Amino acid sequence: MLREKHHQYIAAILKRYPVKRSAMLPLLNLAQREEGYVSEAAMKEIAAILDLTPSQVYETATFYTMLNLKPIGTFHIQVCKSLMCALVGADELIHWLEDHLGIKVGETTSDNLFTLSVVECLGSCATGPMMQVNDDYYERLDRQKVTQILDDLRRNGTSPLKSGPFMCPEPVPPSS
Amino acid sequence: MAEQHTPQLLRVTIDGIAVQVPPGTLVIEAARQVGVMIPHFCYHPKLEPDANCRMCLVEIEKMPRLQTSCSTRVTDGMVVRSNTSPVVQAARKSVLEFILANHPLDCPVCDQGGRCDLQDFSHEYTPTVSRFTELKRIFPKEYFSPLIETQMNRCVQCLRCVRYCDQVMDVKALAPAGRGTMTEIKHFGHHALDCEFCGGCVQICPVGAITSRLSMYEYRPWMLKRTETICPYCGDGCQFTIQQKNNELIEVNSTYGAGRNRGDLCARGYFGYHASTHPDRLRHPLIRRPDGTFREVPWEEALEVAGERLMGIKQAHGGEAIAGLITSRCTNEELYLFQKLMRVVLGTNKIDCSARYGHVNGIEPLRRVQGAHRWTVTFEDIVAADVLLLVGTNITETNPITGLKVKEAVKRRGARLLTLETLLPVRGSISNITTLSSCHIPVHPLGYGQAVNALVKAMIEQNDVAPQIREQAVEFYRTIESVLRTCSWEDLECDLGVSRYRFFEMARIFREAMRAVVLIGQGVLRASRGADIVTNLLDLLLLAGHHQRPGCGLGVLAEENNDQGAVEMGALASYLPGPVSLSDQAACQAIASLWMEELPQGPSATLPEILNQARVGHVRALYVVGENPLASLPPSFNVQEALERVEVLVCQELFLTETARHAHIVLPACSYAEKDGTFTNTEGLVQPVRRAIDPVGESQPDWAIFSALSVVMGYPIEYGSAKEIFKEIQSVIPRYALLGPAPTPPNVHQDVVDRYLHGDFQVDVTQRYTWPRLSPKSEKRLTLILTQSLFHSGKFSTRAKGLLRVQAEGTLLLNSTEAARWGLQPGGMARLSNERGAVSVKVRVLDRVPEGMAFFPEHFDHDIRILFQAEVDPLTQVPCWKQTSVTVEPQ
Repeated sequence: MLREKHHQYIAAILKRYPVKRSAMLPLLNLAQREEGYVSEAAMKEIAAILDLTPSQVYETATFYTMLNLKPIGTFHIQVCKSLMCALVGADELIHWLEDHLGIKVGETTSDNLFTLSVVECLGSCATGPMMQVNDDYYERLDRQKVTQILDDLRRNGTSPLKSGPFMCPEPVPPSS
Repeated sequence: MAEQHTPQLLRVTIDGIAVQVPPGTLVIEAARQVGVMIPHFCYHPKLEPDANCRMCLVEIEKMPRLQTSCSTRVTDGMVVRSNTSPVVQAARKSVLEFILANHPLDCPVCDQGGRCDLQDFSHEYTPTVSRFTELKRIFPKEYFSPLIETQMNRCVQCLRCVRYCDQVMDVKALAPAGRGTMTEIKHFGHHALDCEFCGGCVQICPVGAITSRLSMYEYRPWMLKRTETICPYCGDGCQFTIQQKNNELIEVNSTYGAGRNRGDLCARGYFGYHASTHPDRLRHPLIRRPDGTFREVPWEEALEVAGERLMGIKQAHGGEAIAGLITSRCTNEELYLFQKLMRVVLGTNKIDCSARYGHVNGIEPLRRVQGAHRWTVTFEDIVAADVLLLVGTNITETNPITGLKVKEAVKRRGARLLTLETLLPVRGSISNITTLSSCHIPVHPLGYGQAVNALVKAMIEQNDVAPQIREQAVEFYRTIESVLRTCSWEDLECDLGVSRYRFFEMARIFREAMRAVVLIGQGVLRASRGADIVTNLLDLLLLAGHHQRPGCGLGVLAEENNDQGAVEMGALASYLPGPVSLSDQAACQAIASLWMEELPQGPSATLPEILNQARVGHVRALYVVGENPLASLPPSFNVQEALERVEVLVCQELFLTETARHAHIVLPACSYAEKDGTFTNTEGLVQPVRRAIDPVGESQPDWAIFSALSVVMGYPIEYGSAKEIFKEIQSVIPRYALLGPAPTPPNVHQDVVDRYLHGDFQVDVTQRYTWPRLSPKSEKRLTLILTQSLFHSGKFSTRAKGLLRVQAEGTLLLNSTEAARWGLQPGGMARLSNERGAVSVKVRVLDRVPEGMAFFPEHFDHDIRILFQAEVDPLTQVPCWKQTSVTVEPQ
């Protein structure tokens, strides 16, 4: 349960907004970080926190593609399919990944390790084709590199080939 | 006085036609006024503009691009081109082409076909060929709702249903899930729709995306015969249209703006219409054989036997040995004729109706303090109020449409809502009025007397009493002040569990109101000494100085459709039509001379008194019309004994009810759908009920049966139609029912108020403000309360198949903490027991139920009734029995 585990963090989020409902996305994000996806129980709980009905939370959760409504694997592979990456071979990479992992886009491997998604531009156009695995970027990909990355992930849970994280920058200490 | 400001009108030209409209008018509305119909999907006058469908684009001079006429407000000198602009025509074509790119062409099997906006606009604007060659989107169907059928492939994503569910109903059960073309209207994930089932989304959908499952594939709109009539369930008196095909009820709906409900309905109104044509309806008169079985007889025989036996009792023992009970579900004409028949032909004053179950607790104080037996406010005043005080009413479930007026006042107009209610402000699948409250004080069902005491005390103590009362009725407020001094804040805080400052806050908001409306519901009306609480609330209005102010007043919410009419027709003990008190000699004489008959001089008797007298043999004959005391009162009331003791029991009924099974003669009556007449709603508006279908079997309207019976008994009171009876009612009650779109509420009688303020109040002031301390919460027992459900009304609705699909049985409702405390599982069984018996019931968790309590819907109280003990209010004779205490164990 979110409220029990993150009591203070939720209070801090709620404090940020004059209208309670505005705290919905930070809370959905919290729920996703907690379980890897936004579960129905979490949506109901968020509804209770924000004085909304579960339908109203569901409506928002289904709008944002970055929020997963189904359980995902340990590693969420999100390959950019936008124009820039497509020009340098993203489509082939995606097909190759599908074959390699034995799943289709949107599916999870049977060992629950990898979920493959395709996403819109991740803002790394100069270094395509690229993908994001959980919070880390992997850029200038080719088959060999991807094989290496997947192996590393399987073995160590991370890979030295990553060039991130950019999504969650470390807070910069205030310059005194 | 502020200067009367006449709003300046703005001049607009639409398609070359000039019109003047007030500022703030939307272009689409201004166009409608001059007969220019601008096509639209997402716009609806009930909803805030959303401008998402882009169908209503118009060209406005001096404005760039096309504008959405549903969200643009007029300015002076605006020139609008709609049908006359080729650009606009082209835009509409394009919008429709996009919509039709996905909309399936399944009109032949779509229930909306023939009354579909998209069909009409396509006919008017689109080329017959589409340029899209792509496949249409298809949504997989995840579930089939019992009542509301969704066909998302047909959806045009106007979001009217979503906005209605939120803005009007405050339920928020529907949501647009997904994005872009793939947006679909859903509830929550793959779960079945769980909501108020008001049918509003079905009514407001411009296409066939949301339709009613009850009438699926059964009709084409042009096959239906329509009759406008009044809903037979609660006291709100909603106008709806019954649609029938070959004498079969197909559908009910309510046109936008129709009636007091303005086209809104609740689940009972929208899905509850099948009760009238239930297969169990009585089709023939029945006479009981000595062995207890019934045989069908022709009408002539039934009437003759009934007449003979009733007259036999009258001749042998006098009229006083005969009593009558009638349900407030009957029309005014029938209630009037029944009491006339009982008084004039059978010579008895022992008549009572189902208003005795609570409504009378509101009527008596209104008559006493204000001299009016009706609301002095209307639904419009509720909407226009700036402060609303709701006492003891879960208004959403008992009077849903009055509830909508409260919601409108709060949500749209920013009124402040004050609630004294048992419910906790917790959201759930059906809306909860206390969540809209700006000051909610939770009250134990036995604590309303004390809570109102606290409110009055708070008002007096923080000097909120209006100056005119302080100056002109010194004794009145001084006396109340001194009486309330004996009830200390410490005791009140301890019993109510709420700080006194909450009451100070509530009293201050109430005092500062410019337009304050108080609404009182079953929590108070059915409580013991309910009339005292209502009188004290009227004192509160007087102390705040609100009684003279326009738009201020107090309304008691009627439970049954014609509770108010039953009182006014004199079907209540100790009242003649008017209502004229039997003690008012002059007025009684006037009615007698109008009737050209002698009035019976015997005593009147209330429902509990009638049953008591039947038990001891003083009442030997009982004429029961639509009432079912055996199922309405707990076994401890010994109704069965009374029914078995009477020598003649005539029941006039729709169904062979528990009471009717004991009858000697059963007469089949028509339901509201098969007869003409009028109902008077809770605010006092008399509205016409019209015959929509032919009578079921040989059943007859109640008034026709009374009339025929009077002929058989040799004192003919004959009428050709319900209209004739109504004319007579108007001669007895002058100016009764000037049928109109809104009631003209009576004024507060200043002389009655003065009499009350300067003396009459003293009669019982000490007793009224003295309430027993609440016993501390028991750890070992649970307070069990019978409540009304949104999906049912009395027992009548339990024959409606639509409503049974939503709620077919009673479940024990309690919050999760309480369920855990007693070790109960949701969906599991619980055994409830007390000194009167034990029953097993299914458990459901509902977090709005306060701790220490459990609710059970009264409509399914068949088994659970044994746990309750009735107590008769000494003042108004209301049988109070809706709560008891029980021990609980899982089973």
